[in-house]
Amino acid sequence: MIQAVDFITNSASIGTVNGIPLMTITLAVLATSIRVLALILLSIISGWLLAYGAIKSKIFENIFISLIEIFESVPVITFFPVVLIIFVDRIGGGLGVELAADFLVFTAVVWNIWMGEYQAFKTVPSEMVEVANNYNYGFLDRMGMIYIPFSIPRIAANLFPSVSDGFFYITVSEVFSIGLTTYATFGIGTEISSLLAQSNYYGVLTAFIIMGIIIVIIILALRSISERAVAKYTVDTDMPIMRRGKPRIRQTARFSAVASLNTLGKLAKYNRERRPQKDPEELFSTTPKKGKGNIIAGLVALAIFLYIIYSAIELILSVSAKEWDYLFSKTPSLLYGLMLDYLRVITITLISLFMALTLGYYFATRKRVEKFGIPVIQTLSAYPVPAYFPFLFLGIYPFVDSIFGSYTEEALVLFLGFLATFYYVFYGFWMGVKAMPSEYNEIMRNLDLGFFQKMRYVIIPSTFPYLISGITSTVNSAWGGLEIGEYWPHIAGNRTLQVHDGLMKTIDVATSTGNIALAAWGSFLFAIIVAVYSIIFTKKMMDLAKKKYVAEEGIYSV
Amino acid sequence: MRTYAIWWLLGTTLEVVDLDFRYENGYKVFQDINLKAEKGKFIAIVGPSGVGKSTLLRLLGAFLKPEKGSVLLHGKPVLRPTPLISMVHQSIVTFPWMTAEENVALSVRMKNLPKDKVKEISSRALEMVGLQGFNDLYPKEMSGGMRQRVAVARSLAADPKILLMDEPFAHLDELTAEGLRQDIYNILFNEESPLETVIMVSHNLTEVIELSDTVFILNGNPATIVAKVDIDIPRPRSPRDPKFDQMLDILYSYLTRKGVKKQ
Repeated sequence: MIQAVDFITNSASIGTVNGIPLMTITLAVLATSIRVLALILLSIISGWLLAYGAIKSKIFENIFISLIEIFESVPVITFFPVVLIIFVDRIGGGLGVELAADFLVFTAVVWNIWMGEYQAFKTVPSEMVEVANNYNYGFLDRMGMIYIPFSIPRIAANLFPSVSDGFFYITVSEVFSIGLTTYATFGIGTEISSLLAQSNYYGVLTAFIIMGIIIVIIILALRSISERAVAKYTVDTDMPIMRRGKPRIRQTARFSAVASLNTLGKLAKYNRERRPQKDPEELFSTTPKKGKGNIIAGLVALAIFLYIIYSAIELILSVSAKEWDYLFSKTPSLLYGLMLDYLRVITITLISLFMALTLGYYFATRKRVEKFGIPVIQTLSAYPVPAYFPFLFLGIYPFVDSIFGSYTEEALVLFLGFLATFYYVFYGFWMGVKAMPSEYNEIMRNLDLGFFQKMRYVIIPSTFPYLISGITSTVNSAWGGLEIGEYWPHIAGNRTLQVHDGLMKTIDVATSTGNIALAAWGSFLFAIIVAVYSIIFTKKMMDLAKKKYVAEEGIYSV
Repeated sequence: MRTYAIWWLLGTTLEVVDLDFRYENGYKVFQDINLKAEKGKFIAIVGPSGVGKSTLLRLLGAFLKPEKGSVLLHGKPVLRPTPLISMVHQSIVTFPWMTAEENVALSVRMKNLPKDKVKEISSRALEMVGLQGFNDLYPKEMSGGMRQRVAVARSLAADPKILLMDEPFAHLDELTAEGLRQDIYNILFNEESPLETVIMVSHNLTEVIELSDTVFILNGNPATIVAKVDIDIPRPRSPRDPKFDQMLDILYSYLTRKGVKKQ
């Protein structure tokens, strides 16, 4: 049974040229793009409200930040069981599938944006808040005149990685199979699957071209928005800026990271000048704080959380004892598969890191190359790998086969993972180098340090917070790449790309054969282990980065 | 070798010849800058705010390339940054992930010496700037004055012939700055130091008179050297000395003259 796909293919007769459904493809690309952008917009708007709640209530702030910290550290596919339980199983139908796709994309883009807005709200200059207090601004005035404008540069900074994440996941979540049922919602991911099933390769090529054009337009628009946002809304000031709570290394990295576009010096300076200070609203407040909004928000969050728990418990109870025995007996092989997948993720991450340290440094130190190369990489990163990989597979298979022999498919899966994730650590490192204090560059040149000395003593330590941020994103997205690549039936005609063993493959195979219990159990084990590992590892590394490797602290000025 | 010998006999370590410089946006900053820095002298460059003092220092260190003219070290053109001309920044620069000793060692490592030797040189440099016993402290555990001493030690450990100092006391409170000023001359020109010349940029005339042997005044638009003033007040110098005040007036008058070579 195919839902929604029928609608697309049947309505494709209008605007079809030489067997290529131009109109449908264009609409599908637009639908996917609008879905990604709309979800980013939803993240932005909800983030403003949540961030305001966080600066107003310490309890809410602690819960909010803790949850973001956890969720941004775990791979998006961890949420897959939730998708299965709530959207596909409970809600079902076209709406359930649409919400499932949207939810996966939402979880891919939302955490960075929420954290960026929270950070922005926390670092609003105290003088600005005092002006708002002075003139008794209400909620809307404060938001409209102070908090929202102040958060714009940070939102702009997060747009590039969010768009890349969004496109990557939406193309694979628009259409997925569980057993004999294919769930699909209208979009370019579904359209490409449909064209491939019809062996309409010219149609697929056309889809890539149209998608490329739209992505380039989106990237150019985002660059323009970022430039304007930074030019207009960045506060260029020496005045102290209030800051409460822990510094957010990952966020700082992402923030300065991408604010990109020749305004970095300004942003780096702006970041450097922030100093801890008490919240002036707390200092001079004479009226008791109102907590109604917090209570409602808390109740809504609690209700959603309880519903998820209830659904999960209900599902667990519905599984028979015999089924549990089966699942437990499978657990050792699932854990073995997870270990293999970890090795794959480590390999992908190391290769990505190597490329970042060499190519990223080359880009960051050569203006002309950078001017051309960075927009190209931004565009490529937003171009969803799952969409074009089948063609790459066909093109490079003989070559890879001649080198890797029986490990060809393993190499191709690693390559897919690399293409899907390399961008994050590359971009993180590149931005780290760009945001490095100019004085460090002068000292390296002055002392005539060689490449390895520069890397070891100055550049890697100086960019460490950025590298950790990039590596975390790379690791998380590598899981997504493996989920797609480890078992990809009909990747090209009747050929199937698959590895010998791996947890992601087991989950994929179980899902496609309708063994939902095994798929859900595998996802659950994965979620627990990877989440715990990610949180511990990421947190430890970020703590280290915060404690020791903040380059801005090396510049002492009053 | 012959050129070096002549320059050594003449006592000039660094010379700037007919130097012009323009920013990327086309704004001409300097025109016909000429100056000579003599061996054993503490040179100061002063000028009004925004005239390009720090930019000139970066040209002397070859961090920037001039539009025209050249910078000569012992008669040879300086085409790229070199440890022989070492820079101490206005913003006090240390590496927070390194201890004081490791910060200093950074400038010794490029010499490919054994570890023990690197440690010995770094320790000696720290001792020279009065930081013996603080080797294992990280920058964030130090005061601003101590950090600047670390930066000076790092520069000295590179065995430079010329030390460029860009407003080195600007980010220190007055008491700390005064303490460091009192020490700096002896630190820089002690027997162990390989230094030949120090060139400092500053807008603080009191500290310039307190420290310098020669002052070059930079003024105009585009800027050029409008005067050279030798300060022959015996050391240690006191601002209460009438000669000190007299010198202050002279420098002040040069700095407030307007219309020098207007573009």
